[in-house]
Amino acid sequence: MKLECSLVTRRTFVNTLLGGWLLAALSGGIFALLRFAFPTLGKEPDFVILKPDDYLDIPANSTKAFAWGGKLGLFFRKTDGNLVALKGVCSHMECNIAYKPEERKFYCSCHKGWFDENGKNIQGPPPKPLEIFVYTVEGDKLIVARKGVKVELPKA
Amino acid sequence: MWPERESRLNCPRLKNWFAERYDIAPLKKLAREKLVPVHGHDLWYYTGGVVLFLFALQFITGMLLSFYYIPHAEHAHKSIIEIVTKLNMGWFFRSLHHWGSQLAIFFLFVHLFATLLFKSYRKPRELLWYSGFILLVTAIFFGLSGYLLLWDERAFAAVRVATGGAGALPIVGDFIKAFLRGGFDVTGETLTRFYAFHVAILPLFTIFLMGLHIIIVQIHGMSTPLSLKDKNVPQVPFFPNILYRDIIVWLVVLGLTVTIATLLPPEIGQKADPLAAPPENIKPEWYFLFLFQTLKIFPGEILGLNGETIAIMLISAGILIFFLIPLLDRKSGRGERSPLFTVVGYAYLAYFLIMTTIGYFT
Amino acid sequence: MTLTVCITTVIAFIVSPLWAQEAKKAIEVFPSTPYYQFIIFENLAIFWIAIIGLIVILRMKLREIEQRQKLGLDREENDAAPPN
Repeated sequence: MKLECSLVTRRTFVNTLLGGWLLAALSGGIFALLRFAFPTLGKEPDFVILKPDDYLDIPANSTKAFAWGGKLGLFFRKTDGNLVALKGVCSHMECNIAYKPEERKFYCSCHKGWFDENGKNIQGPPPKPLEIFVYTVEGDKLIVARKGVKVELPKA
Repeated sequence: MWPERESRLNCPRLKNWFAERYDIAPLKKLAREKLVPVHGHDLWYYTGGVVLFLFALQFITGMLLSFYYIPHAEHAHKSIIEIVTKLNMGWFFRSLHHWGSQLAIFFLFVHLFATLLFKSYRKPRELLWYSGFILLVTAIFFGLSGYLLLWDERAFAAVRVATGGAGALPIVGDFIKAFLRGGFDVTGETLTRFYAFHVAILPLFTIFLMGLHIIIVQIHGMSTPLSLKDKNVPQVPFFPNILYRDIIVWLVVLGLTVTIATLLPPEIGQKADPLAAPPENIKPEWYFLFLFQTLKIFPGEILGLNGETIAIMLISAGILIFFLIPLLDRKSGRGERSPLFTVVGYAYLAYFLIMTTIGYFT
Repeated sequence: MTLTVCITTVIAFIVSPLWAQEAKKAIEVFPSTPYYQFIIFENLAIFWIAIIGLIVILRMKLREIEQRQKLGLDREENDAAPPN
């Protein structure tokens, strides 16, 4: 099928080519800039390695903080003697929580949220329970990992 | 037969929205009337635009680097190593900033000597020369202040020498030295001060002065060489003919800068130790070499007077004459050939090139 | 093309150059492994293709503008009525 005349003028063709190419080149450049400006968007680690002696002997009804990437992690020995590791971050708006030994509950002061000894949200705005981690001791390393993560230690 | 409707890509609705509120017709008329001469030497017209483009590139890469650089004597060096090793493409942006600055100053000297030898400084464009000279000093200060921010051995020693050299100026020397250093010696205070200059004071000053410089160019138009004075030189509109050509030149310069930055990323030396001896064969950045080579060739004592002071006075005189050339070159101000100042111009260029080369290779 | 740029730049961000082992060695910046070097050169090639493409298209625009100026078409109104 031969057309009587072309569907676009030469001017439109060149303008579109220029615009399109410019858009592609600029977006490539801006992408590079943004990747530099936003390095790692709040990525959390899959596991952290700690020293066992620091955390395994904490007394009952107390917590000890550790670094979970840039966030707060807590080792918590319950009143019945069990030791758990959990993320000390409120499920509501990510404020840090604190343990109140007298009440045996975790408290988030931002919006007055409460969690019980098992991390379940019992009062206030938090919609979900606290995240519980899995921990193991391998030799001289205490490994705290997210549930379901297969821990592969680097060959250091 | 008219085959197409009015193209929607032209944004007619957006243009109408704007036109209903702002009457830019006089501005558009002004823009359309901007003409650029066409002749055998018109390639030199692009040098100013290249400097502008490279400065814009420096602003962008500088802003990116300032996200991560820590301007404190304890952390500066380490923060640069972090940028260069840990961040996505950090090494590239630092390299781009480094080479961008080298090329910007290089093209600035090209622009300077082009306007000098074509005598573009003559009446009515004297203010362009004076503002341009101040912009040159600003650019060199940009280079010096940026260089110290590395806080490695070379940078530290180089700034000690450079600020010490400023201190050798008579009368105002000590005052300038104390002002630049923020104290008696190059310390963390100097770093803070140079950082303030580099990211706040100099950029604002440059934007203002460059804006003025460019506006004055628009008012006078481009100067044509004296040899073409009586000829009828054809002109083309700036928008869009020369603008597209400008952009092509800028793209080539960008390509050059990016390629050099990728293939030759700069290294960083050991962290500065104020008590250590300076590294072997320390040399300032290449655009200072001609000054320091001049200082080196003067003997310690001339006729009982301090050789260095005499050298500094001679250099200052040379720079002052350079600054006042539009005032001194009466002939070109009248539109006449001025061979004396052509010789003077080539003499300055030759001196600069020879001294820089000697300084580089010794 | 943008997709290729995006993908290759994402891969390029795993560049991990050598750390200085002790104080005396200068810190290496350009990655040493051929894998990363290839990515960087590939990106450089794509970059140059983009630049040269832009220059070619701008030259096409320039040719069009100069032809129109020679024919005096740029002084015509855009909304002029068609002939006959």
